[in-house]
Amino acid sequence: MSFKVIKPGFLTTIQDAGRFMHAMYGMSQSGVMDEHAFSWANHLLGNNYTDAVLEITFGAVELEALDEMVVCVCGADLDFKINAQVAPIWQSLQIQPTDVLSWSLPKHGVRSYLAVQGGFKTQALFGSRSVNLREHIGAKIAQDWVLTCAPSSGQLERFMAPQYRPNYHQDIVLRLLPSYQYSKFSDAQKTLFFGQTYTVSHANDRSGCRLKGVPIALKKDKMISEAMSYGSVEIATDGLPIILLKDAPSIGGYPKIGTVFSLDLAQLAQQQPTAKVRFELMGIEQAQKERLAFNQFFGALGNSKPLKI
Amino acid sequence: MLAGESSLLIYFGDKIDPELPKNIANFANQLKNEFSELIINLTPSYTSLLVSYDLNKTSYPIFKSQVSALLEQWTLAEVKQSFKVIHIPVYYGFEVGLDLERLLAEKALTLDEFIHIHTSQSYLVYAIGFSPVFAFLGEVDQQIQAPRLATPRIKIPAGSVGIADRQTAIYPTDSSGGWNIIGRTVLDLSLKNPDNLDKFKTGGRVEFYPITREEYLKYGGEL
Repeated sequence: MSFKVIKPGFLTTIQDAGRFMHAMYGMSQSGVMDEHAFSWANHLLGNNYTDAVLEITFGAVELEALDEMVVCVCGADLDFKINAQVAPIWQSLQIQPTDVLSWSLPKHGVRSYLAVQGGFKTQALFGSRSVNLREHIGAKIAQDWVLTCAPSSGQLERFMAPQYRPNYHQDIVLRLLPSYQYSKFSDAQKTLFFGQTYTVSHANDRSGCRLKGVPIALKKDKMISEAMSYGSVEIATDGLPIILLKDAPSIGGYPKIGTVFSLDLAQLAQQQPTAKVRFELMGIEQAQKERLAFNQFFGALGNSKPLKI
Repeated sequence: MLAGESSLLIYFGDKIDPELPKNIANFANQLKNEFSELIINLTPSYTSLLVSYDLNKTSYPIFKSQVSALLEQWTLAEVKQSFKVIHIPVYYGFEVGLDLERLLAEKALTLDEFIHIHTSQSYLVYAIGFSPVFAFLGEVDQQIQAPRLATPRIKIPAGSVGIADRQTAIYPTDSSGGWNIIGRTVLDLSLKNPDNLDKFKTGGRVEFYPITREEYLKYGGEL
């Protein structure tokens, strides 16, 4: 089962749930930027939670199916079409050999996920199929590549009820756990941080999202570099926040005011520059409760360990 | 300390100490053995260890108290574990040491003096990060310390050896970066060779030795 790449697009990479137990070697977690859309795509196909998908950023992608397959597209609406006809997202679809799947441009959100029944079976490296361009692990898809997938097990008609579909156009609130150097920030600094609406800047990629706003005055203390978790928010020398994402370096030396809850980062992954963002405090108990409920729904339990290769 | 919805950060000290990296590596191993089913990632650094756990199998309060209990039994000790010293051949030439000429002028050193200072000690691997196989080595002799460049370079060639303040390091792959580049090794430290993954171990030692331009070219070095 496979696809042939006709047009590779701007930034199209294979991603899965991430690369674990490798941070000690300096590797990022990597993996999908929008865990919500990724989980739905695999769920609607009856896949494993960790199955690899194609992450399509902005579009300009065309793939030709070489076999009969069951697929599902979730996340951004990048004007998805099959054989030049508008096709539904958030639902499983049967496709035929020679069908051409295309994503042209962002209409709603920026990252679209193509899942295939059984998952993409590209080469796994260091316990994951996730491509990390900063680390030179894997590569963007290129013209004439053949993307291999597992054999489909057959027709499955599942879709996400329309009322659950996310609205990527609304301003977002990122819930923040008071972690790392949170207590070292003064009340005045925290008031400024939580009181303002930041804007997503153009410096916004798989490694991090830099925000624009009113800078927080920082003392020029030198910090000893330490490990940065997914979603941690560092305040750079210029006083502005950078949210560290899936391809971020494993360690860094800026103070961190907290860590954004992972499912809120899924919403951030669909935002364009100029989108508005606010922060709000969240407790660890609530975060673990919500994430656990999400994992239970998608069957991620006991399945988040690295791939056995 | 809380580091995220499924991770916590342990501090072992509040200043850089050559004894810490080995000890942190040691404690990380203990944790891995004790909680192999729960731990999904471990990231040691100079004075700290990030522990990421599977929140499907435990929770913050439970896991934190388990780790605290293990930590209470733990003491900073002379770790017996011995590491093999890694030797890195470096061509210290102006064609590849992009900042070498400037540094010599700033420090009023001859090339031979500079090479002698950089190669006459063994460096401790304090941390691995920034990118895979990138080892932060310390401490650089005061005579050749230099701050990071104000404007980082867009592309530093793989194998470049750099200095930033008290640290020195080798860029395993082409990368952007702001370190002062003083030479280049012929060794391939990239992950094209997957054995490089654990080439450097925190707490281990690294030594540099000079090679001539002819040797550098003979072993495949590029100018």
